[in-house]
Amino acid sequence: MSDRVGRIITGDELTADTEVNAEVCIVGSGAGGAVLAHELTARGLDVVMLEEGSYHTRRDFKMDEAWAYPHLYQEMANRATDDLAIRILQGRSVGGTTTINWTTCFRTPPRITQVWRERFGMTALTDEALRPHFEALEKRLHIHEWPLDQINQNNRKLWEGCEKLGYDHKLIRRNVHKCVNLGYCGVGCPVDAKQSMLVTFLPDAVEKGLRLYANASARRLEVSGSRVTAVHAEVRDPATDKPRGVKLTVRAKVVAVSGGAINSPALLLRSGLDQGGKVGRRTFLHPTVVSVGIFDEEIAAYAGAPQSVYSHQFIDRGAGKVGWFTETSPIHPVVAAVSFAGFGEGHRELIRALPNLNAVVASLADGLLPDEVGATVKLRGGGDARLSIHYDLQPSHFEAARVSQAELAKIQFAAGAKQVVTLHEAPVVMNSEKELGKLDSAPWERCRTRFFSAHQMGGCPMGSDPAKSVVTPELRFRGMENLFVVDGSIFPTSLGVNPQQTIYGLARWGAQFVAGSVA
Amino acid sequence: MTMQTSASGPPSPSRRSLLKRGLLGGGLLLLGGAGFLGTRSTRRGKAPPRPLTVLSEDEYAVVEALSARIIAPAKDAPPLDEVAWNVDQLLAAADPSAQKEVKQLIGLFDSALAGFLFGGRVTPFTRLEPGEQDQVLREWQQSRLLLRRTGFTALKTLALAGYYSTASTWAYMQYPGPPKDFHDPSAPVWKGGGQPRPDSPGVFKAEESEGTLPEATTTNTAGGHAP
Repeated sequence: MSDRVGRIITGDELTADTEVNAEVCIVGSGAGGAVLAHELTARGLDVVMLEEGSYHTRRDFKMDEAWAYPHLYQEMANRATDDLAIRILQGRSVGGTTTINWTTCFRTPPRITQVWRERFGMTALTDEALRPHFEALEKRLHIHEWPLDQINQNNRKLWEGCEKLGYDHKLIRRNVHKCVNLGYCGVGCPVDAKQSMLVTFLPDAVEKGLRLYANASARRLEVSGSRVTAVHAEVRDPATDKPRGVKLTVRAKVVAVSGGAINSPALLLRSGLDQGGKVGRRTFLHPTVVSVGIFDEEIAAYAGAPQSVYSHQFIDRGAGKVGWFTETSPIHPVVAAVSFAGFGEGHRELIRALPNLNAVVASLADGLLPDEVGATVKLRGGGDARLSIHYDLQPSHFEAARVSQAELAKIQFAAGAKQVVTLHEAPVVMNSEKELGKLDSAPWERCRTRFFSAHQMGGCPMGSDPAKSVVTPELRFRGMENLFVVDGSIFPTSLGVNPQQTIYGLARWGAQFVAGSVA
Repeated sequence: MTMQTSASGPPSPSRRSLLKRGLLGGGLLLLGGAGFLGTRSTRRGKAPPRPLTVLSEDEYAVVEALSARIIAPAKDAPPLDEVAWNVDQLLAAADPSAQKEVKQLIGLFDSALAGFLFGGRVTPFTRLEPGEQDQVLREWQQSRLLLRRTGFTALKTLALAGYYSTASTWAYMQYPGPPKDFHDPSAPVWKGGGQPRPDSPGVFKAEESEGTLPEATTTNTAGGHAP
């Protein structure tokens, strides 16, 4: 292999301004960047990676939300749309969101690759072309179906409810190995069972010569003509996460931006690369509503593999309607407390029933209707520290939210729930299926009911039409010779399934273009 | 709980244009200290237990007052003593621009002038009786103005995070805490540099994956933790 010695360098090790050279600089160590780094180092290329988050490992993963949110999530898990209507859960440490996701894996649905081919000109993205990539990834990441006898009570309620109603329901495939079913995937796996980038492609790539700088926040791409000539990063102190006044500059022949949807557009915008306003538009979030079921028996939705059952019963609702997919959400104390509806006694009594609560969710497959524009990521006026994420949810989204909330409640009642509540600020409390009508008179508006996003997609869409795409079908940033985008931000629409495996697949497929441009 | 705000009504043109300048953006907040209403000040409660990092003592008092109504702890729940202090610590780790917005929001929430503009009320939140405080919170929570609902969401989230992020609330929630004996705080940290990767419970080497897929070896060892 290579005789280069790879290293993971953390912010405390950089005490003076530093300049490094490489053939390729990758910004971001998540699903896109890690797979890309692995593919490039496997081809013998000299690669430097920048990650703004810290290098945390199982040594730190003590299964505690209060530690995990500030250390492993973007904006301490407070990232949200500007109006706070959608809370955005996104990772920020070495491994990106793969370090804190719930290990749910789907190949890209054929109905989505078809849309991408037909509406966005991504003709090369056939299911045949992607298959070998998915097969190789499934092998390395040990992606396999979670056995029915291992699913937790929270997922069993979804399974049973769907079974009683005759709804589609299947077992989820997970990227885990020797998983001991703890249930704390979202705060970092303490036993390295999750086959995240942190324990797979990143160390594999480091063994092949990757130099990975953690605590290195890329602030700006230096552009000269149609080339990126340098990536300028500021080094942060791992102990405080504050800039320590040390600069890291990477000069590379080719730059790949892999910061994920939201952060990749932000870096491009900070660098003046807005393509006339296209960059940051068409950002999709799978806006997700949650239905909380209260059961007589213990559910313990904090224990056991967080997601193992899904239903695609309502993913395709016909023309003009937003479809959704149904999974479960684990319920841990902090996220439950800040998410549950209302305040005062009602809020408190629901929290108190924690072990008896079940959560099923509906994630809206946004961006597939012709008139949908999604969210827009912009820089906030003044400094470049924070972003604006604006999502003007449309009546079609609220219609899907309302109808899905009724379907979730039906599933929970069918599974034996004695009560179902929504996350409306004035909670909708239903004591039987007969009360589903309460949902029709509930307010469906931003910040009256709550949405979440665990999936960030788009903002730098790929495609053949220069007017509608930010990157070419070869993932090259339009107008630039040596700049690529390789992460979830290149999706032209949302997926209707959890995105990690699609990002891995596109990165593995797209690596050929990045490698090919290193002259 | 009613869906209508009690006294807001449709905003007058001047009020609407005022609000368009942004609740979290600046403008309006500057009015908080102006004129007669600005003299009706925040009522402070107990002094903070330790020096504050982000919040002023007035802001601390507002957070304490609104947390008491949002959390409304039961008799057998942990007391609220540390909640505003925890909020200050949460904010200390946040981006300076986020800190500034939260401070502005807290100021607005307790401002007599804003209370007057929003609901015809001239008494700061911290000087109201608990029942009236709940009413103010509901007015923000269910306002016709998205900006106020956003403000409520921010304040509620802060208070709840400040309270429920401490392990002392777990027993009240009947949450057993994380399972024991899995986290290894002395696990080796590998940084490459030619060193071999240390063994780890779940990790399997790339070479293994070249062959046939290993069987899933899942055992629910969570013991009494999982049902």
